Amino acid sequence: MQMTADGRETSSKEPVKTATRDIYLPSERKKISGGGTPHVQAKDFSIYYGEFEAVKKVNADILSKYVTAIIGPSGCGKSTFLRAINRMNDLISSCRTTGALLFDGEDIYGKFTDEVLLRKKIGMVFQKPNPFPKSIFDNIAYGPRLHGMNDRKQLAEVVERSLRKAALWDEVSDRLDRNALGLSGGQQQRLCVARALAVEPEILLLDEPTSALDPKATAKIEDLIQELRGSYTIMIVTHNMQQASRVSDYTMFFYEGVLVEYAPTAQLFTNPKDRMTEDYITGRFS
Amino acid sequence: MRAEEVSKAGGRSGAFIISARKRKLQRAVQKAGESALLLIASFVAIVVLFIFYFVAVDAVPYFQLRGFSEFFTSSSWYPADEPGEFGALAIIYGSLMVTLGSTLLSVPMGIAAAVCLSDILPFSVRQYAKPVIEMLAAIPSVAFGFFALVIFAPLLQTQGGPILMWAWWVLAAPFLLLAIIVVSDLLTAKIEDQNKRQQLSMVLLAVFGIGALAFLYWVGSVLRGLEIITGTNALNVSIILSFMALPTIVSVSEDALQAVGRELREGSYALGATRAETLVKTILPAASSGILAAVILGVMRALGETMVVWMASGNSSHIPEPWFNYLEAVRTLTATIAGDMGEADQVTGSARYHVLFAMGLLLLVISFFSNLISERIVVRQRKILSGQ
Amino acid sequence: MNVGTRKILDRSFTAVGIGSIVVMGIALLIVIVPIVFNGMGSVFFTGTIEHRNMLYNEFGKGNSDVLARENAAAGAYRREIYSMLSKFEAELESMEPEKQQELRAQYGPVRTALQALFGPLPGDPEAVLTRYKYGQTRWDKAQEKLHEFLYEAKWDYSDPNAMAKEYFVSRAAGFEGTSLVKLFPYVEKNLDRLLRPEFTVYWGFLTDSSVDSHIFGGIWPEIQGTFFLAVGAMLFAFPLGVIAAVYFTEYAQDGFFTSMLRSANSTLAGVPSIVFGLFGLAFFINTLKVSESKSVLAGSLTLAIMILPTIIRAAEEAILSVPKTYKEASLSLGSTKWNTIMTVILPAALPGILTGGVISLGRAAGETAPIIFTAAVSVGSAIGLADVFSSPTPALSWNIYNLASEHEAAAEIRHVQYGMVLALVGIVLLLNLSAILLRARISKKLKG
Repeated sequence: MQMTADGRETSSKEPVKTATRDIYLPSERKKISGGGTPHVQAKDFSIYYGEFEAVKKVNADILSKYVTAIIGPSGCGKSTFLRAINRMNDLISSCRTTGALLFDGEDIYGKFTDEVLLRKKIGMVFQKPNPFPKSIFDNIAYGPRLHGMNDRKQLAEVVERSLRKAALWDEVSDRLDRNALGLSGGQQQRLCVARALAVEPEILLLDEPTSALDPKATAKIEDLIQELRGSYTIMIVTHNMQQASRVSDYTMFFYEGVLVEYAPTAQLFTNPKDRMTEDYITGRFS
Repeated sequence: MRAEEVSKAGGRSGAFIISARKRKLQRAVQKAGESALLLIASFVAIVVLFIFYFVAVDAVPYFQLRGFSEFFTSSSWYPADEPGEFGALAIIYGSLMVTLGSTLLSVPMGIAAAVCLSDILPFSVRQYAKPVIEMLAAIPSVAFGFFALVIFAPLLQTQGGPILMWAWWVLAAPFLLLAIIVVSDLLTAKIEDQNKRQQLSMVLLAVFGIGALAFLYWVGSVLRGLEIITGTNALNVSIILSFMALPTIVSVSEDALQAVGRELREGSYALGATRAETLVKTILPAASSGILAAVILGVMRALGETMVVWMASGNSSHIPEPWFNYLEAVRTLTATIAGDMGEADQVTGSARYHVLFAMGLLLLVISFFSNLISERIVVRQRKILSGQ
Repeated sequence: MNVGTRKILDRSFTAVGIGSIVVMGIALLIVIVPIVFNGMGSVFFTGTIEHRNMLYNEFGKGNSDVLARENAAAGAYRREIYSMLSKFEAELESMEPEKQQELRAQYGPVRTALQALFGPLPGDPEAVLTRYKYGQTRWDKAQEKLHEFLYEAKWDYSDPNAMAKEYFVSRAAGFEGTSLVKLFPYVEKNLDRLLRPEFTVYWGFLTDSSVDSHIFGGIWPEIQGTFFLAVGAMLFAFPLGVIAAVYFTEYAQDGFFTSMLRSANSTLAGVPSIVFGLFGLAFFINTLKVSESKSVLAGSLTLAIMILPTIIRAAEEAILSVPKTYKEASLSLGSTKWNTIMTVILPAALPGILTGGVISLGRAAGETAPIIFTAAVSVGSAIGLADVFSSPTPALSWNIYNLASEHEAAAEIRHVQYGMVLALVGIVLLLNLSAILLRARISKKLKG
């Protein structure tokens, strides 16, 4: 059984018709054109750490070009699920998966999947800003260089474009050769977003991107997510329910590894179907 | 506590207030205790000063007797003659030669092993790899020296050519193959057509491959034909010393690599870098200063080692010909001190006795500055990584 | 670069890393295996009757009745040799001078080889050195000597460009036509009856003192000397090191002075070991005059200085790894700082501190360079505990060097050298192994 964002259950082979349907959006959000097809699909997807089942049989379609938030109490498997999408869990040797996780219809954990090419398509920004101890320019150019771009002029274009997209260009354009570690926390995090955008991914995974930042920097990152919405499929793990309701179109609620509810954000926050979701969003447990 | 009792204690609140005198006494005892501790802790510093002082005091008379120039510029070492000659140039050169040789062997291997321990091996294997390295570090130097003299030297003398040839094949062949693959890939990168590119790169691979094979074979046959006069030579010592320096290099660089942290690694992987690219382009540069400190410590281990060089370097005080000939016997500072003191301490006060202290002082000064530099480097890396 | 090439580079990078670890493991094996294998040969070997005679005469070990019977049995075969020799000598006398001279020149080496195999021949003067009183004590050596007895080694210089080649000529051929020619096949055929090889387990190698500078006997003086030196060094260094570590972790305030002290510690750790030897000679012996000349005391003090930084570092690490909560709990119960250190922190850190101590003990036992000028002598008997303040001692590490490089019969006593190396490596590695196990137990305990 497949869970789509509006809660209707479909069989896994049937194309997801409901996905292109108009959904409830806050009025200030711009309309998205061309999005709404299933971009990442989880089918009975489970993740184990050794014997422990961290994510249990998740079935869900994540829709392209929309922002999907993942919420839930800590240790509920939401980060693990997010990191599974670009196979960052490969770094943990005891981690294995069952079921299927599809990206554009191809199995992410398939035998012939190249995790290097996969990660080029699926960018990620982490909890703590993690710029490399190099210059700002080299940070952004790191990805493109890996994937074979060596022309200085081309690189400069990519760097400028990415920094502009990440709304950082105006702040750092005059000091691209300075060490990135000299930037403030919020700037560093936007630099990390720019770095991820420079390899032109289709999906952007944000793993609690604002948890280490102050409110002002947080607001900037949230604005940035709104800017990028419609151009990239964005998934964001967050502890902060206000943030989820502010930035996302859809919300997934995880509890103890189970995907409890997955619905349009407005619906989930105003009219949760599940008792557990209601308890969580009303703060009865955390 | 009742109010009267409080007032009895002189207006202050009772139980934990003690008289000023008692408090003073307590303080004094505490201070005295701490000073005693401090004295013991500074014992190490005092020892360091003493070492410098006592080695220098016995080294200075040599320079007073013979001046500086002979020691550093002449390479005739005949301390037992009357009058003796004390040219240490060849000996200093010998020390540098075996140190350089062992560094060239141990640094690439040590860094590769450290990377392997910190990033490649799963934890379960690492648990067994680490004790191996600790064992290697624990084996006494005289045991290595014995191995070098009794087992390795005869082997090198009789089978040296074939050993060198095999080592060359095993080491050089994979690297040449890799270089060929990369070069032909880079040369064909500009061609758009997939098929054409593959064909061309195959052709290039074949051409380069034949060239490389010829090169490998040629160098191999030259090495095989080498005649090794003595097995106790600079090469033997360099190889053994490199294994003694390895544990130091591995464990200190591994610490440096671990200190870089998971965040940077994840950042790089998430951009689609392979493990090798992550390590070479991000982790190693970030850990570079810690690794440099490790290399300095490893070099010092090789330079300061006595028993192996004394037993297996051949102890011949001359500069090899040509200067890079590692198959000749050499003599080092440490071995000279160890070997000549047996006769020189009968003649305490002569130049022959003091020149050995001059050599010791030279070693001491080098090790002091190396330590200072490596310490500075580590502090700087910590600062850079914490973003200051 | 295309992805395929990047992947190949990635794989090869992994291979290089794993390769270097493997090389280190192999290097360890290449060094250890021959040492263990040959070192065992000093205790477990095939001994000859000469070995049993030596043991009985020099150490009073063995059963005299059994030995007498054996000697009688071997003697019966040996008498045959002696009679051949005397027959040949008589024959020599009757020959013409030229032939006689030629044969005498060949006969000399034959006698020497026989002496090496079976000990003094009848009519030889009483040997002064013990090594000449006995024949070959080990069967493997006896076979080498048999080869020397049967063949004469010669060098082929015919190719002036290459190194000379060794080749062997039968000695028997030189005595063609004399009665001695029968001697060679006789000895070759009856060697086992002449020497009566028997599998021997000689634990005395570890507990006996040496006879005639390690030609026979064991290595007890060296083992004891190593023990004295290492334990002596620990007696000085361990308390000092632990107290200094307590100061650094619990009392030292960050500042110039503390960083100077720490710097001094790492400087001391980096001083080449031979320089410690020079310092020990110049300071402890020539300046402080703790002893007339070399002594165990001077050596221990020198080694103590050398291992001090290691102990301080290990103890510091152990103390820092004690959870802060222990300390806070103790302080909150009204304990003084000193009390807390003595009753809570040090006991909790003790296993870690001991681990560092054990490793340092191993290092002190294995180190050679610092004791060359301060404590070690090449030959000598075991010293008593009272002599440690005044007399030097043989030690394993120094005697390995000495026997392998400077002993006049270094090639003859390889088994003793191997045995010594094995004893030293065994001591050091056992100490390290116990430290590793101790540490594993601590980390298990901390995990709960």
